[in-house]
Amino acid sequence: MDAVQFEDFSYHYPKTGTGLDQVTLSIPVGSFTVLAGANGSGKTTLCMAMTGLVPHFFGGSMSGQVRVEGQVTTDRPVSDIAAGVGFVMEDYESQLVALTVFDEVAFALENMAVSSALIRERVAEALAAVGLTGLEDRELSALSGGQKQRLAVASVLASQPKILVLDEPTSALDPEGSEELYSLLAQLNKEKGITVIVADHDLAQALPHADRMVVMEAGRVAFTGTLDEVFARMLSEQIYASAVPALRRLKAALETETRKFSPWTSADEAVAEINASLPPMRRLSLSA
Amino acid sequence: MLEIQQVSFAYPGHAPALKNVSLSIQAGEFIGLAGRNGSGKTTLTRLMVGLGKPASGQVMLDGKPANDGGPAVMARSVGYVFQNPDRQIFRDTVASEVAYGPEQMDWSDDERQVAVDDALAMTGLIEVAQAYPRGLARSFRQRIAIASALALKPRLLILDEPTSGQDAEEKKQLMQLLGKLNGQGIGVILVTHDMEMLLEHTRRTVVLHQGEKVYDGATQELFANPSHDVGAWGLRVPDVAAIAAKFAKITGAVRSVEELAASINHQLGGKTDEKSGASV
Amino acid sequence: MKSLAPLCNLLLTIAVSVWTVLIWDPASLAVMLAVQIALLAYAGQLRKLVKGLLGLLMVAAFFSVIQLPFDVPVPIAVASGLKMMVMTVAVLLMLGTTRLPSLTAALVSQVKIPYEYAFMFTSALRFMPDFIAESHAVREAQICRGYVQSRNPLKRIVAYAALVEPMVLRAITRSETMAMSLELRGFGGVRRTFTQQIAFAGRDYLVLALIAVITAAVIRYR
Repeated sequence: MDAVQFEDFSYHYPKTGTGLDQVTLSIPVGSFTVLAGANGSGKTTLCMAMTGLVPHFFGGSMSGQVRVEGQVTTDRPVSDIAAGVGFVMEDYESQLVALTVFDEVAFALENMAVSSALIRERVAEALAAVGLTGLEDRELSALSGGQKQRLAVASVLASQPKILVLDEPTSALDPEGSEELYSLLAQLNKEKGITVIVADHDLAQALPHADRMVVMEAGRVAFTGTLDEVFARMLSEQIYASAVPALRRLKAALETETRKFSPWTSADEAVAEINASLPPMRRLSLSA
Repeated sequence: MLEIQQVSFAYPGHAPALKNVSLSIQAGEFIGLAGRNGSGKTTLTRLMVGLGKPASGQVMLDGKPANDGGPAVMARSVGYVFQNPDRQIFRDTVASEVAYGPEQMDWSDDERQVAVDDALAMTGLIEVAQAYPRGLARSFRQRIAIASALALKPRLLILDEPTSGQDAEEKKQLMQLLGKLNGQGIGVILVTHDMEMLLEHTRRTVVLHQGEKVYDGATQELFANPSHDVGAWGLRVPDVAAIAAKFAKITGAVRSVEELAASINHQLGGKTDEKSGASV
Repeated sequence: MKSLAPLCNLLLTIAVSVWTVLIWDPASLAVMLAVQIALLAYAGQLRKLVKGLLGLLMVAAFFSVIQLPFDVPVPIAVASGLKMMVMTVAVLLMLGTTRLPSLTAALVSQVKIPYEYAFMFTSALRFMPDFIAESHAVREAQICRGYVQSRNPLKRIVAYAALVEPMVLRAITRSETMAMSLELRGFGGVRRTFTQQIAFAGRDYLVLALIAVITAAVIRYR
């Protein structure tokens, strides 16, 4: 059973008529998938469909189905699905509804009538996972952007979901903040086996951590597969090619019929292999 | 043109946001402003347009203190495009939105019309001039914000992270627009976290760290020189720059993947496609 | 007051309002006001409320003075002003010493008000600073395009009107995101846990007893 399965799923928002077009996609359990595509290509709609907000919240028309943890999303209420799928929206600030850090993280559990003792335990765990321990009584307005985002992650982690979906989490963060967030996600993915799905424009940031990628175009899935496979196809078919990280674009530009390089994930790897390909006289001496 | 002289500033109840920063901006430059969140970038740009008064030091425009007239007067020389376009849009059509600035000025109706038309033309918005701004895509709304600032005919345009939330194609188009404006003599200051963009488009970069200016010079030099501790400043060396730095003797100065690929391919003995840099 | 149960604080505030309605003696009212101000100081709230209190004093004084030309006896006019002050300060005291989420929890579990209504107040408080920040941002954007605040009050009003649309639209977008967030987190269910400490302790019953006694005395001796 996959974590998420789209089975020939089409959806149209009630007012605009745009949405998703015959999406068939499987997200394996424990994978770290990055979702890419131009603005308007359907990334957010795909995320919404994984949480059941599409179609429950928006209405509209659909065909086909979406299975989350084996169960069809139309069969269960959103809050049920949400217990297994944590969703951090693009506008994570508006997603925060309480006055203090503790209240925010406890919110979902309170609504589920979980006991006070268990709530306290789960809140402590969630805050520890994101590095916000000690800030329980801090007011939301006193938090920085990065802290608010980590709070949003903590508040969805409280219900211990097996799947985590984040819609463009890095737009307001600086490179360090983005790196911290991705490290956190990678940690949750590796140590707790949580399936992670992140929609992002900055693919270079995701490159060291993700193991799968999905590229959307005009409501359809253009490509899916490992990052290497997808980057290669993006470049060869020139679909959303400008988003391919610089390293991979360079690799593609340097490869020929006879000369191939391995999938670089860092500048150092690239330097070593390029150097090895240079005529001996031009090679640099790169000491280890 | 714009002189920032030993400016210090602190928000009430907080540690100083800027400490003794000096900067000299000539007409027509294309400058990148980088640094981690909280390093003082936004504060500095706000002082440049007159939003707030420095605690010490001063901001001089053409040799006169900028605070004399306040931001409303500065707006004629220095345009500001905030990060979130939606906070700057409050009219019902694109054209009337862009006209807001000229309406605040004591210009004749003809002058106002010309200013609006020029701004719309420069940003490629003529076709959507009568559209409802909020119904358009974010990249359009970003251009509306730029056009609104351009309508006052500033000599310098400051953009605070204009590419956040934009996809790769939209970023390319925005940078093309900025390049075009710069080519027409409008100075550009780009506050950004995108290192590739800094490398490819800016000639000069200023880096702030904890309220102090720690680097002010050629963008390429920032990344090429290993003595610059960019990591400590919250920056990252773009892969292209890191690779180019190692092969500097054979590649020379490069700013983009295409240039780097072209020069390396040359060394590897292959021929390259002029435009894409791919080996043929 | 900070150590009392939230519902107790609420009942205390209501009791004080009732007493204020019944008491006409300016001296007693003045004493009540003095006690309240002392409590405010003790709760550490006085400094930030000083400006507001002075403003309130002016309004109350105005309210008193304006009755005099209508042949209202001086003590009664003064008492009216004091009543206004005492009641307002009572509410301020309650808000300053009771956490709103705790009060919400008490209203829902102890007074049986539907959670959705109580939640509206917490949300309003949560989003108020954000809206204020938004309005500043829009105003700054206007300033950066040459807007200068006019001395003409009519022009000022027109300028403020320009802020309304972006803020309303932003409010709508925010509320949609918030609604999704609430639905994802199971808001509106039948049962709900409140982690807030709202139970009554011995202290609270003592206060309730005192309230009963004082109220009886006030009714008896006014």
